[in-house]
Amino acid sequence: MEGSCAGFRKVRQRGLFLADASGQELVSRLLHLYFRDGKTKVSGDALQLMGELLRIFVVEAAVRGARQAQAEDVALVDVDQLEKVLPQLGYSSS
Amino acid sequence: MEEEAEAEEQERFSYQQRLKAAVHYTVGRLCEEVALDKEMQFSKQTIAAISELTFRQCENFAKDLEMFARHAKRSTINTEDVKLLARRSNSLLKYITEKSDEIAQCNLERKARKKKKSEDGNKSSRETAEAEAVDSED
Repeated sequence: MEGSCAGFRKVRQRGLFLADASGQELVSRLLHLYFRDGKTKVSGDALQLMGELLRIFVVEAAVRGARQAQAEDVALVDVDQLEKVLPQLGYSSS
Repeated sequence: MEEEAEAEEQERFSYQQRLKAAVHYTVGRLCEEVALDKEMQFSKQTIAAISELTFRQCENFAKDLEMFARHAKRSTINTEDVKLLARRSNSLLKYITEKSDEIAQCNLERKARKKKKSEDGNKSSRETAEAEAVDSED
């Protein structure tokens, strides 16, 4: 996510998304789905922080897609625009 | 035996699908907000693509987090592990660190309020007891 100033800081958030109780529940379930050890747990603070991290990933992808569409002077953010900005987002695979 | 394994596989798959659907819904709502802010529309395919990416990224995150905690000889993942995830981008790391402090502060304040509440509660019940004792001596 290098380059231009972080887009996620500029978007005013209206809803809570992933920060409320059901969002936390979803984040917890998502993580536990892929844990390999049955004993692994996540602290409450870490869960809140993960919700925030995931929110940023989504917003940043959306914002960069929108910027790309603006640069191309198109009215819609389509997969073509998204594909162009994905490398910047540093999506990694372990 | 094979049937059991297959049934388990099916269950896991449909559970995964339900989670994917929940992610898709949240991603849709988040994109809606960005759309309002940027005055730009998102195609359904774009939302689906971001949703798929997010879901896949969760798998990487979960496995990394588990490894970080294990490396520190813990079984509970904490905020330090999450910060490690954010290390590759300076702006992201900075934001996450700020958020982490915010969350810690918020929880500290909540605990302090709870503590004060229970102390006040004890205090007032003591005063009532003393008052009643004085009355009975008359």
